[in-house]
Amino acid sequence: MLWVDKYRPKTLDHVTVHTDIAHNLKKLVKEQDCPHLLFYGPSGSGKKTLIMAVLRQMFGSGAEKVKVENRTWKVDAGSRSLDIELTTLSSTNHIEISPSDAGFQDRYVVQEVIKEMAKNRPIDTKGKKGFKVLVLNDVDKLSREAQHSLRRTMEKYSAYCRLILCCNSSSRVTEAIRSRCLNVRINAPSEEQILDVLELIGKKEGLQLPPGFAARIAEKSNRNLRRAILTFETCRVQQYPFTSKQTIPPMDWEEHISEIASDIMKEQSPKRLFQVRGKLYDLLINCIPPEMVLKRLLHELLRKLDAELKHEVCHWAAYYEHRMRLGQKAIFHIEAFVAKFMSIYKSFLIATFG
Amino acid sequence: MSKRNCVVILSSEDEDATSKLSSSSNYKKTKSRSTSASSRGRKKARASHSRSHLSKLHEIDLFGDDFNEVFTGSEVSAGTQRSFAEELWVDKYKPNSLEELAVHKKKVEDVKTWFEERLKSSKGVYNNNVLLISGQAGVGKSAAIHVIASHLGAIVYGWNTPTPVIWQEHLYNSGTGTQYTSKLDEFESFVERVRKYGLLLTSYTGDSKPSIILLIDDLPMTNGKSAFGKLKNCLQLLVKSTQIPTAILLTDCGNADSVDYNARCLEELKLSLESSGACKVAFNPITVNSMKKVLLRICQMERCDVTAEYVDLIAKTSGGDIRHAITSLQFFCLKPNLVHSLASSTSSHVSLKEESNKPDTSDSGYSLHFGRDEALSLFHALGKFLHNKRETGVGIEYDQDGFLIRERLSRLPLKMDVPEKILCQAHVQPGSVADFLHENVLDFLDDEAIHDAWTVSSYLGDADILLAKLRGMVCSYNEAEGVLQSAAASIAVRGVLFGNSNPLSSRWHAVRRPRLWQVEKVSFYKNKVDRLRIPACKRFSSYHMSIMATEYMPMLKLLGNRACGYDGPSQKSSPNLEMEDFDFDKMDLDEQSMGLSDDDIEDW
Repeated sequence: MLWVDKYRPKTLDHVTVHTDIAHNLKKLVKEQDCPHLLFYGPSGSGKKTLIMAVLRQMFGSGAEKVKVENRTWKVDAGSRSLDIELTTLSSTNHIEISPSDAGFQDRYVVQEVIKEMAKNRPIDTKGKKGFKVLVLNDVDKLSREAQHSLRRTMEKYSAYCRLILCCNSSSRVTEAIRSRCLNVRINAPSEEQILDVLELIGKKEGLQLPPGFAARIAEKSNRNLRRAILTFETCRVQQYPFTSKQTIPPMDWEEHISEIASDIMKEQSPKRLFQVRGKLYDLLINCIPPEMVLKRLLHELLRKLDAELKHEVCHWAAYYEHRMRLGQKAIFHIEAFVAKFMSIYKSFLIATFG
Repeated sequence: MSKRNCVVILSSEDEDATSKLSSSSNYKKTKSRSTSASSRGRKKARASHSRSHLSKLHEIDLFGDDFNEVFTGSEVSAGTQRSFAEELWVDKYKPNSLEELAVHKKKVEDVKTWFEERLKSSKGVYNNNVLLISGQAGVGKSAAIHVIASHLGAIVYGWNTPTPVIWQEHLYNSGTGTQYTSKLDEFESFVERVRKYGLLLTSYTGDSKPSIILLIDDLPMTNGKSAFGKLKNCLQLLVKSTQIPTAILLTDCGNADSVDYNARCLEELKLSLESSGACKVAFNPITVNSMKKVLLRICQMERCDVTAEYVDLIAKTSGGDIRHAITSLQFFCLKPNLVHSLASSTSSHVSLKEESNKPDTSDSGYSLHFGRDEALSLFHALGKFLHNKRETGVGIEYDQDGFLIRERLSRLPLKMDVPEKILCQAHVQPGSVADFLHENVLDFLDDEAIHDAWTVSSYLGDADILLAKLRGMVCSYNEAEGVLQSAAASIAVRGVLFGNSNPLSSRWHAVRRPRLWQVEKVSFYKNKVDRLRIPACKRFSSYHMSIMATEYMPMLKLLGNRACGYDGPSQKSSPNLEMEDFDFDKMDLDEQSMGLSDDDIEDW
């Protein structure tokens, strides 16, 4: 088992990072009247961990007995019926799905799953009708239509089930859904908190941590706890005992993007643009989400850029990110950004150096 | 000034109105007349039909007569004093001798000698008794066979396509116990009969046995793989075992690189028949010169004075289809008014002559009302867009009426049709046009022109956004969707044309297939495989792909499989899946890339 999973806090009491939130959640669940919940925050901040802990608090250790299924739903969509296949994780009391995986058919999935859950409603020991919990991942990636239908189903079936929504950015979740949920913002842990967690793990694993080593990992992790722990484990595999000057392995895709950035800075021509496109394709083939590619690329470019250009470049990056969301083929828009950057940078070079 | 204009408009309107009136009255007359005539004709037809139990073919002929009568009726209304046309000219001027055939002499000679050899010699000398004639529609395949047969004194015996059974008819018949047989089955049994027993000529009552040519003109329509396989088998058997000289006519539809399933089937059929021993002759489209000869001859015989320019034009626009050319000539000669209006619409007779002096405007894309629409292949169209040929030279006057365009936004006029028209002719999906342009456009940009590259890619992005609006609306096709799609394609194409502000001098370029398609496919596949791994690694919660790809995968690579809890079964199952899927993938890609490599664009 990876350390990330091994040292994941199982209950709300054991949570180390967002203790105050955990405390509040525990009180909430104890009062038996749990509203719909919306967890949002950057990745690697502990949303999933908290959700799992909440489920455990609600249903006891039964919530941990999950099975993974590839399920198919038959959906009547007007004239024809669709088959939608999704991976679900479910226990007796909850189902977890990522409806955005169904692409533009996501709206059917949400409705269908909730309807089905409402049909077989569990009855608890006291004879009271209980409720099930549906965990929806990546709500922000749902299409507008899906969010709309989610809103309606939420109202209609709120007696039978509770929804726990999880996403990175609440700004892409519609107002209507946000107002029907208790919003829980999970901040990215600070570097000190990450440091604490790493030291705790080190202690439990019985490792010797040279001074400053864990701090370096924490610094490299971009305040992403999961990433920090994964990196920590990788370092452990690569070299132990640790030395304080040990290299911390970088992510390969980030390396790749910084390579692209230096390519762009070196030459600005259609030919180079074509080469860059090839490298971008390499990233996309490996399922790196295009938004992250664009963000990282901007980050890398800004590092090397003259201050007076930064503002304009950021503007265009935002512009093309927006268009990427509107469009379908991300490469068109990333490439347009690269071309725009090249164009700006080239005229800048000509203006300064002649 | 304005007053005068007004007056002119009024008067012209007046004229229009009167002409309309008169024409409508004319029209009414013709209608009544023609209907009465046709009903008479139909009566006649029925009478004759009941009297002599002739085959269904005659009915069709009679129908043709009706059709003619309608035609002649309209001719009367036009007020011409010419003789009534009895038949369509296509039938009237059917070639009767070898000299009259517009097909290339050598091809005719080939076919003739082939039949001669087989008819003269005794049976069983030749193993292959099947001739495969291919060519696009209207190049005179059937006509050639008929003429040659009559030249050799042989009788053409043909497979006549049975009339289709309508569903209602079938329901009606099913009560009487007749079973429905598909046309393919009927064809099969016909071929079977011919193969085993030869042809029994019941109608012939001569002394000596005449020589026979079997003509299979119209292959039954096949839908789906199994039906096609049946047809193929039965034809192969025919090729192998028939004793009668047989001609199978295949009509090429469009260009070979089209993705149309039927076209590919036809190609396959051709190959398989050839491999089993059929002799193949391909008829080319009829050349402009021989077409002109035929048309002029018809003009002479009809005594209508069509100027040489128009004959020339008809011959050029017909795209090598002589049947079409003759019909359009007949249509053209029908109403002298039409010629007049046409001439006025193209500003004047004189200007047309002038235009014909300039080769670049008259031969490409000048189409009359009756010209055949030419189809372009995808690659031809892409080539046009990418090469971006424009008028050069100083003497280009800008449209004075149009609004002023800033220097950096103005472009030289295009040396091609309107892009939308080209798109229309190429029959492609807007999405794939955008993909193809995106893949290839950078090759055609100047090395310094990074700003152009931005313009182009930005417009392609616009097109993508428009196309993405359709996502999720697959259920119903509506008008707006079509408009959106064509708008997207138009933006993509025009963006490419506009963005490339100073096109390179043309040189040879290969057009690639969009790599994007491959990328999408592979990433989708990877997504699937990785998803199988997730449950193995993580028991508690599923992660979205992005987290898997950006955080877990790189680390797992470094860790090796050791640290991760890969379970036995999942590991076993995932390579299996890999094998299966990848084979399929590869096959698919190979097939498509092969198709592409043939179609590299040359400079034109």
